[in-house]
Amino acid sequence: MGVDAEKEITKLWRDLHSAQDEICKTYYRWREVAVEMAGPGVKPLDVALKAAEKMGKEIGKSFLPRLNWLKGEDVFLLSLGRLMAGLWLTEGGIAAAEKGDKPGEVLITCTRCPWPSAAKEYGVPMEEVALTRLRLFESLLEDVSVFFNIPLKIEMLKAIPRGHGVYLLRLYKANGGGK
Amino acid sequence: MARVLFEWDYSGYPGAKLYPHLFSPIQIGNIIVPNRIKYAATEDNLNSHDGFITDADVAYMRSRAEGVVGGMCFMQGVYMDKPGKGQGYVGQAACWDDKFIPGLKRIADAIHGEKAVAGFQLMDCGRVGAVNVESGHGPSTVPQRLRIFRPMYEMTKEEIKEMIQQHVDSARRGVEAGFDMIEISGIVGYLVSNFISKYTNRRTDEYGGDIRGRMQAVVEIIQGVKAVCGKDIPVGIRLCSEELLDDVRGNTPEESMQSYKIAEEAGVDYISCTLGWQESIYPVISRDIPQGNWLHLAKRAKSNVKVPIQMAYRLFTPDRPEKAIAAGELDVWEMCRPMIADPLMPKKVLEGRENEIRHCVACNLCLARLFRDAPMTCYINPLCAHEHDERIYPKPAEEKKTVMIVGAGPAGLECAYVAAQRGHEVHVYDKRQELGGTILDASRAPYGDDELMTCIGYQKTMCEKYGVQFHLGKEVTEEMISDELPDTVVLATGPVYRELGQAKGRAVNVLDVLNGKADVGDKVLVWGNRKPGIGVALYLAKKGKKVSLVGKEKSAGFDINPSFKWRYMIYLRQSGVNVYNDCDIESVGEGEIIVKTYDGYRFPLACDTVVISERDANEALKKAVQGEGIEMYVIGDALVPRNLSSAVHDGYRIGLRI
Repeated sequence: MGVDAEKEITKLWRDLHSAQDEICKTYYRWREVAVEMAGPGVKPLDVALKAAEKMGKEIGKSFLPRLNWLKGEDVFLLSLGRLMAGLWLTEGGIAAAEKGDKPGEVLITCTRCPWPSAAKEYGVPMEEVALTRLRLFESLLEDVSVFFNIPLKIEMLKAIPRGHGVYLLRLYKANGGGK
Repeated sequence: MARVLFEWDYSGYPGAKLYPHLFSPIQIGNIIVPNRIKYAATEDNLNSHDGFITDADVAYMRSRAEGVVGGMCFMQGVYMDKPGKGQGYVGQAACWDDKFIPGLKRIADAIHGEKAVAGFQLMDCGRVGAVNVESGHGPSTVPQRLRIFRPMYEMTKEEIKEMIQQHVDSARRGVEAGFDMIEISGIVGYLVSNFISKYTNRRTDEYGGDIRGRMQAVVEIIQGVKAVCGKDIPVGIRLCSEELLDDVRGNTPEESMQSYKIAEEAGVDYISCTLGWQESIYPVISRDIPQGNWLHLAKRAKSNVKVPIQMAYRLFTPDRPEKAIAAGELDVWEMCRPMIADPLMPKKVLEGRENEIRHCVACNLCLARLFRDAPMTCYINPLCAHEHDERIYPKPAEEKKTVMIVGAGPAGLECAYVAAQRGHEVHVYDKRQELGGTILDASRAPYGDDELMTCIGYQKTMCEKYGVQFHLGKEVTEEMISDELPDTVVLATGPVYRELGQAKGRAVNVLDVLNGKADVGDKVLVWGNRKPGIGVALYLAKKGKKVSLVGKEKSAGFDINPSFKWRYMIYLRQSGVNVYNDCDIESVGEGEIIVKTYDGYRFPLACDTVVISERDANEALKKAVQGEGIEMYVIGDALVPRNLSSAVHDGYRIGLRI
């Protein structure tokens, strides 16, 4: 008895995409609750940024066992960039990381991001989507920087929710790298 | 003038002739220790959760003290701060107040009662600490890589001074309790090692910077402890000779050797040479590391300092330390796990009873339990941590019985010698010609599994000692049971292996693969992702086969303790074994197997051989025994397929019960 490969793969893809869709939706449902609980005196953006900070911190911790200094700074930075791009992939985005032109610099691109569409559905401003993504990455880097004793920074050069059609982020070593 | 605490004369003992260097005296500070053997401080989680010594710990230590036959016996490291930031284990002994002295004195007295040198260890667990509080302390705030540990926060200078004083005060309490030696623990990620390592010490004040700055707190501890101990109480330190933290920019080996020299300059009387941290990514003490693998580090330490060098770490038999001491590469043989597995190990060496040693199999279950807040236990020593409990020792049976044990594997043999020791007439039957049961085959798996046979060797010796009668090459039948009508039957027949009817001709048994009886193709599917499946998968991968491992457990190696399991996971990856967890075989096709995931996806795996390692309980002979109204016990894998440890523990306990 063989396997109908097309059928099995189709089923897998469908289930995967459903699960990915739920990631953004679940987040925005919780955001609504958090904003409501926080009350009228609190800006929704502040709530979202606080949540991004918390999530980034947790994700950063999970990166620590997966990073290794032994292969040198360039490989380390690229591995970190790939882990960050990988977050988008698990959410249903298309993203990649590659070495930048300068030493100690990695560029992370995302050409498809599921967050803006979901945000629109829940009436969330596009700028908040861009800012929360940046905050998540910034706080993710905090523990990684301290743990490996290397000052890391990230800046957002382009963002899909800002109408650039692509996300472009520059990950770099703060002192002497990439500038 | 150096002191001799207890007189020992080893001249009449065979072990002293065989290992003359091990049983020769050594001067440590102002004490002459009669031999080169030390039970190294080991946490056991046996004390009360507020740090007071319990009867269980006293009994545990007494038996280890008996084992060192006059050598050094160190109690577990004590934590020294009232808030418990330095407490790394729920049952760790405390020493932050004089109120703990009476309890500590019980341990010192127990060790002295065995005429051994009593050692006291100071251990602030630092980065590995704060087990009962929300956060711990360290030289710098460096996030944890392992989530099992608490967040750490940078100590102020005042807190560092306080911590140094806590070491001094605790050393004074140790001396008052009657201990003969004081040791500072600076290993595996504990606070002292946190100060020494540039990975965890990022300070820019006098307690940080270069290796001398990073050693400053340690130097102050040593000098303070020395001052309170005086010239009669030697002070030693355990230090990493290599941190194995290159991946996170830890100390270089050169820096580690500098730390040895600085400790010596500060006045320590000996150094215990260790390596690796809890969070190192390299294995140090698991079974896959060859015996004696790290002796070169002791040799290097010896060439850097003049004080005596002590070492444990994969030195499980006396021959290697004997040779190293003779060659001037080591001064003292330390042991933790070998004396967890057999507290009397060195005593048996001295008395020429090496074949009666129950050898540690380096599974690290003891370690895994400590990190899960459970009391110490040992994979193969059922008495470990139960030394205080009279019920665990074999006592003469009230009624002498004829006992038939079916199966000469680890469960059957363990049960056999315990029952025989109690006075029963014990007969062990096995259809094989050799003792060992499943272990005979399982020990052929790679990465150190050959050491599992040491368990069988020990059991065989004990069976012979207590007069167990073997009937090998004899398969027990229902008729035999009816004919012989023993008083008690113990079924230790091992598991039954599942069948895969559809794969007839291509399905082989895991044991037949390991003992070379089965023909195996190039593409192999191993069915079952517990330890037997992993063992045979690695065995076949080493032979160049393309192996897939398929099993129902959510994670492969579910039955292996976490302190060892990570090694297998790495070997599986390195060997190119594809692991499919949460899966089972759905059907067998021509040249392929259809595998189904737990949630219903199906995929084909090409294979020409299926190795069956899935096991079930063994019901054979049960009805026949019950039918005759004979007292019956089922033990080991025959009861529930598990592991060697369960077999040994089952066997021991049923041996006590018959």
